[in-house]
Amino acid sequence: MENFIVKDLMVPLSEYATVPEGSTLFEAIMALEKAQEQFQMTQYHHRAVLVLDKQNRVIGKVSQLNVLLAIEPQNEQTKKINDISKFGFSDPFITYLKKHYRPDDVSIEDLYMKAGKRPVEEFMQKPSAGEYVEENTPLETAIYQLVLGPHLSLLVTSGDDIVGILRLSDVFAAIFHTMKQIQTKKLHNQG
Amino acid sequence: MKELEKVLDRIIQRVNINLRELGYDVKPFVSNLVAPGQMVKFYAFYGITPHHPLNFQFKRTNLAGSYFLGKCQVTNSLLYKSDIRGDELKKKDDIFRFQDFEIQIHKDEEIDIEDSFLIKTLVHNYSHDPETLEKFFIKDTISTHYANIHGSPSDGCFLGPFATVDLTTMRDCVIGAYSYVQAGEINHLHIDPGTVWVRSPDVFNFFYQYPSDKLNKYIYFQAGSPPQGLFIDFVEDRKEAFQRVFDVVNMEPSIPVPKNSSLDRFSVIKPHTQISENVLVAQRAYIQNSFLGKGANAQENCYIINSKLEGYNITAHGAKIIEADLGKNTFVGFNSFLRGMPDNRIAIGKESVIMPHTIIDVKKPLSIPEGRLVWGIVTNEEDLEENSISLNDLSKIVSYYSKGNMYFEGSGKRFVSAFKDRIQHILEANGAFFSGEQKKGHAQKNQNISFNTIQPYPLGELEGLYPTIMIRP
Repeated sequence: MENFIVKDLMVPLSEYATVPEGSTLFEAIMALEKAQEQFQMTQYHHRAVLVLDKQNRVIGKVSQLNVLLAIEPQNEQTKKINDISKFGFSDPFITYLKKHYRPDDVSIEDLYMKAGKRPVEEFMQKPSAGEYVEENTPLETAIYQLVLGPHLSLLVTSGDDIVGILRLSDVFAAIFHTMKQIQTKKLHNQG
Repeated sequence: MKELEKVLDRIIQRVNINLRELGYDVKPFVSNLVAPGQMVKFYAFYGITPHHPLNFQFKRTNLAGSYFLGKCQVTNSLLYKSDIRGDELKKKDDIFRFQDFEIQIHKDEEIDIEDSFLIKTLVHNYSHDPETLEKFFIKDTISTHYANIHGSPSDGCFLGPFATVDLTTMRDCVIGAYSYVQAGEINHLHIDPGTVWVRSPDVFNFFYQYPSDKLNKYIYFQAGSPPQGLFIDFVEDRKEAFQRVFDVVNMEPSIPVPKNSSLDRFSVIKPHTQISENVLVAQRAYIQNSFLGKGANAQENCYIINSKLEGYNITAHGAKIIEADLGKNTFVGFNSFLRGMPDNRIAIGKESVIMPHTIIDVKKPLSIPEGRLVWGIVTNEEDLEENSISLNDLSKIVSYYSKGNMYFEGSGKRFVSAFKDRIQHILEANGAFFSGEQKKGHAQKNQNISFNTIQPYPLGELEGLYPTIMIRP
C-alpha cells in the first residue's frame, strides 16, 4: 500500500461547499447544489456543507443526516419522543411512536418551507476534538480516528487553519484501489 | 467549624469532578442548603438489636440527627437527619441470584459511605449490583431532602429532593427532583425532574414524565434556594410533632400496640390511631387518626392521616396518604402523595398498585377500581382515565403501549409479576405474615432496639465534627 498522508486524499477547503454562519437550511442546500455542479468538472462528490464564521473558521457541518433531521415534523409530542429515546427503548418502538404522533395537519410543502428557513446553527453538527487531523498525519492514524468516532469525515488542519476535509469515502476508495493492485500483482506473479 | 467546611468543599469538588461530562455544578445547589449551626445542634443515634450485625465506623464526619442500624462505615461525609437502615443487608453465606449465577456471599454486607453529603435521605435495602455484593457503596454523592437511595450503590451522583433510585447502580448521574429510577445500572445520565422510569433490560420498560408546570406546584428546586413547594410545606407543617420524640429519652407508646407489631419510638402517633397485628411503623413515620389493618406497614417519612388501610398495605418510604380508604393488598409507592378531602375522599380498590412517585390530589371524591395500576398526576376522573390501566389489561401487552405521557415497551405480564413478587417480598420482609412463630420480619425483629446517641465537638476548629468512633459488639 502506498504511504499516503492525509493531505494526499483530502478535499481542499476551497473546493468544498461552505456557507457563512446565519445562513438558512435552503441556502446550505443551494451551496451544496452549486458544489455538485462543479463536481462535474472535478473528482469530488459533495455530501455535506461546512459552516464558516466571520473569520472563515469552520464552526459546524451540515450533513445529509442533519438535513433529514431538520425536516422532521416537530410538535410537543415528537420532542418528548426524542427525549425518551435515551431511556433504553428500542428503535422500532421509537419509529412507531414517531409515526403514530406525526402531525396530520402539516403538508410536505409547509414542512419543507419551514425547514428551509431555519438557520443552519440549529441543526449543524459542531466538530468534536476527535474530528481534527493534521495534514501530514499518516493515513493509518487518520483511519483510527474515523473508526473510533465513528466519523464520516475529518477536518484537516495546517497550523491553526483548516485546509481541507478527509472523507471516509475517499479513504475507502484509496484502500480499495491499493487492495486491488496487490491482488492483481499477486495473480500476475502466480501466472 | 473550619474542618466541617473543608469536608463540604472536598465533597462538592469530588462530585463536580464526576459530573464534569454532564457540565453540572452542584455548588450553587448545595452551598447553603443546611445552615452550619444546624449541623452542631442534633445528636446522631444508632440501634442495637440481637438480629442485626453491629459494626459502625465513623471517621471525619458530621452525622447530625442521623440514624444507623446494621453494619455501616462513614468517612469524610456529612449526613444530616438521614436514615441509614441496614436491616436488610445480605448476611454471610446468603445466596444472591443474578441471571444464571448463584453467588455466595462471603461476608456480611456493609454500607460504606465516603466523601458524600446526604440530607434527610433514606438509605435502605441491599446492594443489587452483582459486582459489589458485600459492599453497598455511596461515594462522591450528594443527595438532597427526602431522597431515597434504595439498594442502589452510587458513585459520583447528585439526587434532587424527593428523588428515588431503587435497585440501580448509578455512576456520574444527576437525578432530578421527584424522579424515580429503577433501571439496574445507569451511567452519565442527566434525568429531568419528575421522570418515572422502571426498566428491566430486554423484558420491559416503563417511562412517564411529569409536565413541569404541574410538578412545580409540588416540588421545585433551583440553584441558590432550598427546595420549595407543597411537599416541603406539608412536611414542615408537621415538623414540630417530631421534636418531642427526639427530645425525650424514654418514650412509651401512646396507643395499644399488639405484641406482634412494631411502633418505632422515633415515629409520631397522633390520637385515634389503631394498629393491628403484624404492623410495622418505621422511624420518622407520622400516623394520625388512622386505622392500619393486619400486616400493613408505614415506612420511613410516611404520613398517614385520617385514613383507613384494610390490611397488608404497603406504604413505601416517603409516601403520604391523607383522607383515603385503601382496600387490602394495595401498594403505594415511594414518595407518592395521595390527598383527598374530608368530604371528598380517595378510595383505592384492593390489590391496586400506585406507582412510585404518583400524585393523586383531588377536590372531588375519586374511586380507583380494584386491580389498577396508577401513575403520574391525577386530580380528577379524566386524569385517572389517562394515567391508569387495569393490571389485567397491562398483562396482555406484549410489545408497545403509550397513553398520555406514559410509554411502555415489552412484556406487560412480566412487569405485573415483577411488581406482585416485590409486593409479596416487602410484606414478608416486614413481618406481615408472622404466624406467632414463623415468618418473622421487621415488625417483630425491630421491637426491642436499644438506642445510643453520639455527639460532635461543640466548639473550636473541630466544631461540628464527630470524633473517630468505632462501635463493635
